[in-house]
Amino acid sequence: MTQVTVATSLVVLAIALSRIGRLGVGRELVVAALRAAVQLAAVGVLIALVFEHAGLAAAFVALMLSTATFTAGRRLERVPDATLRAGAAIAAGAATGLVPLLATGAFDTTPRELVPVAGILIGGAMVATSVTGRRLAEQVADDLAVIEVRLTLGVPAREALAPAVRRAAVTGLIPAIDQTKNAGLVTLPGTFVGLVLGGASPAEAARVQLVVLLTLLAVQVVAALAVARLVVAGLTAPGERVVPPTARAPSSRRT
Amino acid sequence: MAVARGGREILYGIDLRVQAGQVVAVAGPSGVGKSSLLRCLVRLDEPAAGRVLVDGTDAAALDPCVLRRRIGLVAQAPAMLPGDVRANLAYGLEAPREAELREALAATGLAPELLDRDARELSGGEAARVAVARALTRDPGALLLDEPTAALDRDSAAAVETLVRELAERGLGVLVVTHDDAQAERLADERIEVRRP
Repeated sequence: MTQVTVATSLVVLAIALSRIGRLGVGRELVVAALRAAVQLAAVGVLIALVFEHAGLAAAFVALMLSTATFTAGRRLERVPDATLRAGAAIAAGAATGLVPLLATGAFDTTPRELVPVAGILIGGAMVATSVTGRRLAEQVADDLAVIEVRLTLGVPAREALAPAVRRAAVTGLIPAIDQTKNAGLVTLPGTFVGLVLGGASPAEAARVQLVVLLTLLAVQVVAALAVARLVVAGLTAPGERVVPPTARAPSSRRT
Repeated sequence: MAVARGGREILYGIDLRVQAGQVVAVAGPSGVGKSSLLRCLVRLDEPAAGRVLVDGTDAAALDPCVLRRRIGLVAQAPAMLPGDVRANLAYGLEAPREAELREALAATGLAPELLDRDARELSGGEAARVAVARALTRDPGALLLDEPTAALDRDSAAAVETLVRELAERGLGVLVVTHDDAQAERLADERIEVRRP
């Protein structure tokens, strides 16, 4: 109980600091903390059942995928059909890791292995999708003048957007790259800690963690590239035109 | 042609022709839709009605990239791409030759030494000329200039006006959009005035 009390105090501190810093995320921090508490409590109760029944496990993975889709979709709110695009990118990324791991038998398809692995991979794909997609939409809005110069010089819309895509994807992949580079040095990743606490040997835990981290790199690269491609498709129009995410409101910029 | 912004028609009844070697000015107050008209001519926006013919071919039937190389648009206060002037001039060209870049720069009255300058550190007058030179590297048949002197001091503005006349003398069709009636009078072989509806 002491652990939860200390952690709760720290969240209150984080909310207070975000108010002082006028970050405008106070409400989001409260919602995130409350959701985490409720969801983890529910998972704590349900997970034993989920691990026993394959049907429940499949439903749980579907729930993870749809939650990740709506979460990332909200981050891309100004992009048309944001939820669909986010969902496709997350599914593509997660499948890139999950299919070979299960098909080769690297992990069992039993609920006890499938659910945690799918959760980690879907979560990784969600982060890469949210950050890359949002950054790309912001960049297209911010750099519209330069992007339109490229268009007027006679290059296709996709080429005019390529520098924005590269920068957004790099931003989206920085957490994954840094997490992998610093594994064991700066942080002891969750899988490793969980396995050791659960009684596995440190060597075994390190092996599984390495598999997860390396797979996550592929998952996140695929998710970042997929969402970038889908956002580009959403922000371009026939005739090699770029329709920025802010353009849906009448503009007074042009004369 | 008619031009819309935010779903509302802001300019209509536009009927103009620009011939090789001719400067045509579209004059009218700010906010009336002149820039939107230029954007429609190179299909950055679609016209609300009417069509654009390029040497008799409907622009909607042309590859937009080809269209934009044949008709260069230089925006008001044109943005420079990251990198030096050389990178700006060469952008999008398959195999840019140094001589071509120097020639485009010279055509706008700029020295070749400028090629190595950071494009984002140019003065307003230099940037305006580099933007024209950048369009010239595509070897266009016509240029659309949006308020080409709006942000410039008097000397730079006079130099750009001279450049516009020189471009027409080289055989380019030039369409200039301006809010300055006197400038339209000075520059153009033909003037079209647009007003608020």
